[in-house]
Amino acid sequence: MSRLFIIALFAFLWITPETILAQTLADKVQEYKLDNGATVLLVERHASPTVAAYISFRVGGVNETSQERGVAHLLEHMLFKGTKTLGTKNYAVEKKLLQQIKTIGKEIDALKFRADTDPQRLQQLQESLAQVQAEHRKLVVKNEFSRIYGENGGVGYNAYTSKDATTYLINLPANKLELWAAIESDRLQNAVFREFYTERDVVHEERRRSYESSPDGMMYETLLATAYKVHPYRNPIIGWNSDIDSLDPDQIREFFDKYYTPVNMVITLVGDFESEATLEMVKRYFGKLKPGVPVPPVVDREPEQNGERRVTINFDAEPQLMIAYHKPTMPHRDDYAFDLLMQVLSEGRTSRFYQSLVVDKQLVTDVNVFGAPGSRYDNLMVVSLTPRNGRSSAEVEAAVYAELERFRSELLSPGELEVARNQILTSILRSLKGNSGLARMLSSYQTLGDWHYLVEYEDQLNSITPEDIMAVAKRYLQADNRTVVTLMREEQN
Amino acid sequence: MRYLFYLLVSLFIFGCSPNFLSSQERPDQLSFPPLDFSFPEVAEQQLQNGMKLYLKEDNELPLVELTVLVEGGSLYDSPDKTGLSQFFATTLSTGGSENLSPAELEAELEAMAAILTVSSSSYAYEIDLSLQRKDLERGIEILADLLRRPRFDAERMELVRNQMFEGIHRQNDNPGSIAGRILSEAVYQSHPFGAYPTVAGVAGFSREDLLEIHSRYFKPQNLWLAVSGDVHQGELVRLLEQQFGDWQSSESFLREMPLEPPAPQGRIYLVDKDIPQTTILMGHPGINKDNPDLYALQVANYILGGGGFNSRMMREVRSNRGLAYSVYSYFQVGRQLPELFIAKSETKSNSTVEVVSLMQQLINQMRDEPVTVAELDLAKKSLINSFVFAFSDSHSVVSRKVRLDYYDYPENYLEHYQQQIAAVSIADVQRVAQQYLHPDKLQIVLVGDSDRYIDAVSSLGLPVEKVDLSLE
Repeated sequence: MSRLFIIALFAFLWITPETILAQTLADKVQEYKLDNGATVLLVERHASPTVAAYISFRVGGVNETSQERGVAHLLEHMLFKGTKTLGTKNYAVEKKLLQQIKTIGKEIDALKFRADTDPQRLQQLQESLAQVQAEHRKLVVKNEFSRIYGENGGVGYNAYTSKDATTYLINLPANKLELWAAIESDRLQNAVFREFYTERDVVHEERRRSYESSPDGMMYETLLATAYKVHPYRNPIIGWNSDIDSLDPDQIREFFDKYYTPVNMVITLVGDFESEATLEMVKRYFGKLKPGVPVPPVVDREPEQNGERRVTINFDAEPQLMIAYHKPTMPHRDDYAFDLLMQVLSEGRTSRFYQSLVVDKQLVTDVNVFGAPGSRYDNLMVVSLTPRNGRSSAEVEAAVYAELERFRSELLSPGELEVARNQILTSILRSLKGNSGLARMLSSYQTLGDWHYLVEYEDQLNSITPEDIMAVAKRYLQADNRTVVTLMREEQN
Repeated sequence: MRYLFYLLVSLFIFGCSPNFLSSQERPDQLSFPPLDFSFPEVAEQQLQNGMKLYLKEDNELPLVELTVLVEGGSLYDSPDKTGLSQFFATTLSTGGSENLSPAELEAELEAMAAILTVSSSSYAYEIDLSLQRKDLERGIEILADLLRRPRFDAERMELVRNQMFEGIHRQNDNPGSIAGRILSEAVYQSHPFGAYPTVAGVAGFSREDLLEIHSRYFKPQNLWLAVSGDVHQGELVRLLEQQFGDWQSSESFLREMPLEPPAPQGRIYLVDKDIPQTTILMGHPGINKDNPDLYALQVANYILGGGGFNSRMMREVRSNRGLAYSVYSYFQVGRQLPELFIAKSETKSNSTVEVVSLMQQLINQMRDEPVTVAELDLAKKSLINSFVFAFSDSHSVVSRKVRLDYYDYPENYLEHYQQQIAAVSIADVQRVAQQYLHPDKLQIVLVGDSDRYIDAVSSLGLPVEKVDLSLE
């Protein structure tokens, strides 16, 4: 999640005094709690006959144990495979085949990486798996959710898994909103995880694409695994390869049954509908779900970093650099100070990093600063740099540290602070424009906490002084709290 | 027909327990009220000096968005100056104006939290400015100063040049961008569509080049302005007249569009990169927007690879076989000249040839066999029913309207779109597939660990060429 986004989550009600937008939106967002614990946020907007529909669960990669890393993400994939009625020609027959597939698949998984496995036995099992899979495929009606949404004009049918939450979304023509309620409530009650082992292969391809063949992905993954030693924020959402290899359908089912329940669920609808009738409809479809139990909080706490960490990655690409510092997450007061500090540091061409590193010293062609990897637990301020050809990482680093040092030794001017606030504010305004953007923001914020807490954000941010910003710089932007990752070709190393 | 089939199936399976699955429990059997939709109105006005203005007023948020299209673009870069239009666009946005130095301009815009970007595409320069309503008057003043009297500051110009050098230096970092470049070069050869900036070319760009582009293209009659947000037409016109009114039109230039070369015969390009997954990119020349078969091709491509999970490529390559995360195809519909038909995927090194040949088979199948009624029906319904999303954002409404006029789309293109899609038949789909999909002309680029599949690639029966990136 980008820093801007996190800020946006907190601040969308905090709008300049001359507008009444804050109040307007506060009036527009209607919050309800169903009897089973599900939270429903509704925003009526009649500018175009469309609706953005989001369902988020307060569970993501951070909630996995070491036996099941990657399960939240693979579950997200598996939830597109249909239900007992959608996606099948004959569920009763299918069920038996799914059982067989699972049995053989688990046996293969148990054997495939053992040194003493009889290769013939393994091959035999793989052949019989392929055979049952082929038989099963005859009973599958492919991608029916997608077909039904497609026929009805749905766009952006998708889902995403983050460290902290998992979200399912679709945009529909306004007259089709009930279709969403029918499909989504069906999938929460009757999901069938068909084609599991094929989808696991898809996830491997996704991992190769996003991390193993991408310099950016490779750096980011390495950065998290280095900066965190204990906290599960260290693990990639998609899982390490060995995690993906070992996941089985029972784990998916268990995770789903345990956490995809109303007490962990936020439904957000933004668009052209009438609230009262829509709430009734939501109750009709989702009200019958059993409440479930809340996702337990993560107990791991990252110990204080007691020395700089450095890693070099060999990759077939020109050099890149990432530098990260541990920092507290919301609603810690220091997090607001970081929002402003990061704005001054890197947003726009007048920002300190751009002026110093790109324009004056011409050490890098690009520099970005963002908060990562989540917002529920203490996170990182990450600086990502693209050095110019011929400039060494050491030169670039020295210039970065010199800029950071300025925050420790000089107070920010009131003018700079004011510009930073204005920029944050306006970027929030821009992000309110589309139905989908607003729904995403409300949904994410609500899964992280309670969106009413937003109201206090303006006061919090306004209360941050130049002294506060200097204090966080002194406290967190220190060498022994940082992790440095460089990526380069082997021969350049 | 399809619904009836499902009903029969469910009766067959659950014949003894009819309560378990009443027909009402299938979400696709719900019925819906008709959608209340009308085309949003866009105000149009031509200023005295020839500037064309389009406005979609929207008072929900205190913001104004402006997009200016200016005739010009990369298609008119001369062969020894490839990338000049990009150099121009970036230097225009960062190089200051007559009244404001680069630093002053940036400081003032950022103090207003305004965002200014300038980009160059094949046929146009585009300037985008996003502002708070209260800053509109000053914003337009700055915009006019920049468009009419750019400074092209020397230091900033060198900064842009260095950034372009760095871009060239890093052009082989990501497999996707390598594949895109090799494909364009293979199809277009020396045509501007296949040309990429070189160190020597970029080193030769001068300030005179920038001034010449400016004086040739930046004239009131070549400016198309799309505005949305919290502003009234009268106020906007007054501000524009104030800042641009005394800018008079001068002689127009004649645009000469370089002709594209004929489609080369099919060929495979192997590009070596030390990564565990191969990027597969294939393409050949396609169509432009004036082609009457545009609609049938959109339906055909939805079925082939454009319809996400509803497409054959996704079904066969990803969903049935687990060979890729992403696989798709599309027609880049050229605004004037025809552009490419493209298909793309990524798969682990060992399954490279399997995926290439699956994609080829699926393309061939579109030509060889009629699509099914269900496929046609789904593609058409999806394109028709999702059409309303083209109008869900007021700036996209007004900037689309400008583009349709700028590129000379037929009158009522949008109004007739749904009817045109509805009229497409199974025979149309097969006919256009045969006419516009040419498996024998596909340029297939494979970026990855080529030792792993170099032998298997020969089974595809096309000439194979190895590309050495270090020689570029």
